[in-house]
Amino acid sequence: MKLPLLFKLITLIFFAVFVPLLAINFLNLQLPISLLFGAISIALAALILMLILKPLDKFVEAAKAMGAGNLHYKLDIRSADELQTVADAFNLMAGSLAFSFQKLEQEKDILSAEKNRIDSVLSSIVDGIIALDFNGNVVFANKAAEALTGFTNLELSSKSIAQFIHLFSDKDEIPTKIYCDTSFAQVVNLVGKDGKQTRVKLTTSKIEGAVQTNLGCLLILHDLSKEEELERMKLDFVSMASHELKTPLTSIIGYLSVYINENKANIPTDELSFLERSLVAAQQLLTLIQNILSVNKIERDQMSVTPQAVDYSTILTKCVDDLQNQAKLKNITMMLNLPPDLLPQVMADPIRIGEVVTNLVANAINYTDAGGKVSVTVEITPNEVKTIVSDSGVGIPKEALPHLFNKFFRVSNITQQASKGTGLGLYIAKSIITKLGGKIWVESELGKGSQFIFTLPVASKIKTFDSNTFVGQAIAQGALNY
Amino acid sequence: MDPNSKKILLVEDEDFIRELYVRQLTKAGFQVKSAVDGQTGLNLLKSEAFDLLLLDIMLPGMNGLQLLREFKTQNPNSKMITILLTNLGQEAVIKEGFELGAQAYLIKASYTPD
Repeated sequence: MKLPLLFKLITLIFFAVFVPLLAINFLNLQLPISLLFGAISIALAALILMLILKPLDKFVEAAKAMGAGNLHYKLDIRSADELQTVADAFNLMAGSLAFSFQKLEQEKDILSAEKNRIDSVLSSIVDGIIALDFNGNVVFANKAAEALTGFTNLELSSKSIAQFIHLFSDKDEIPTKIYCDTSFAQVVNLVGKDGKQTRVKLTTSKIEGAVQTNLGCLLILHDLSKEEELERMKLDFVSMASHELKTPLTSIIGYLSVYINENKANIPTDELSFLERSLVAAQQLLTLIQNILSVNKIERDQMSVTPQAVDYSTILTKCVDDLQNQAKLKNITMMLNLPPDLLPQVMADPIRIGEVVTNLVANAINYTDAGGKVSVTVEITPNEVKTIVSDSGVGIPKEALPHLFNKFFRVSNITQQASKGTGLGLYIAKSIITKLGGKIWVESELGKGSQFIFTLPVASKIKTFDSNTFVGQAIAQGALNY
Repeated sequence: MDPNSKKILLVEDEDFIRELYVRQLTKAGFQVKSAVDGQTGLNLLKSEAFDLLLLDIMLPGMNGLQLLREFKTQNPNSKMITILLTNLGQEAVIKEGFELGAQAYLIKASYTPD
């Protein structure tokens, strides 16, 4: 049964005020007795008041408990009046608050798990990642970026990247604006804490539509030092192995050719051909090793090509004469067509340009059937001397043309026919001609022969070449180091 | 042997190659002496005169260019001809040798004396 608070108050007033009044007025009591009566009344009233107010203590206690964070505190008031109603409402509110808090807590856990996951993903990435805001201030740097730059996330955070990290392309520093405003991908030198230098591949991307997150651009730093070290070790190994292979091979070729020369007359023809084939194979192996060494030098950037004014017609004549025998064996007519006018001197390295011509002419002979023609023609323009090596051979399939000057490419890759080449000769030729400031290209049609054409700059009278400095440089750069 | 025949000094560390050269040159009528390293070669050059020096570049200890430089400093007026024995791809070395007074070079692998 519910007794409203009003009723309780009326009872209280009745006991405290009316009962003593009634008693005094109507019972005509003597003063001491009426005083006693009054005192009893007041005591009764106070007792009733205390009973009414007692639940309020519980309210105070509950509010304190909730304030301390205990949302599961239950108010237990059975006063059967409005206070109980308030208590019930209070309990209900506490319950729903507890529920909301629990939900928030759960969502926070989910979010922080998500953040942890993203953090571990970012820090597990081996490449350095730095995020910048629109002003070029560092928002985030992952572990790899910390390792690369030498700065911690804390040191970098919210500070301008330009204060800490410097990126150089050759000797010029690249400003933040340049690499952040465009998508950028370049090998650069990164200078971090205490001048720590690392060679990295920098890739940047502009973060689009990220106004709310205030993210401007993302830098990805890929450490190249280990790769370059490995590459260098590989090249050193190839160089060393090739040189070591060459020494015994030189002996094999030397002894074999002396033996053949001295005993030609006494060896039966078919046995002699065994020896000659061995010699040819050994020479092919030597060419292969020499080509590998040349490629190795090109890749180490140590191919010494020394342009100087040279008398080109002498070199051409010698190269063509040297291969005349090989052409004759295949019954190929070989011609050297020099222009009627005197050839101007060209800027070339006499040894290297000889290699190029020999290579192109030998190729022409190789890929031309018996009875065919090979010709070397020279044309003069005011600034260039153009050399055309043409043959009446099998020609080159169209799809092979773009790959012809690539390393290890052979036309047989496409035609599926065996060929003798190493796939290195044209790659080397291209490197040499390019270093000499010329161009090399091919024109060919399947079945109609091929033309390999290259140009060399004409030596001007003003240009002189200080060979002393160059040789010194070449040696300093390791031309002597095997 | 013809007492007027030319004297050749061969400096080459590879036994097989050195022996083949010595054999072929002797057969051709030259007086040939050989050394397996730079120091031995230089000592021989000091003790007697040669008409021709066949000089390998890559040698243990003192290399061919150092030998040549040393010899030319001590004998600036020597009429001895020097031919460098090289491998293909040593153009820089050849040029350096020429500046030191070498007259020619041979690429070992593509040339066999006969």
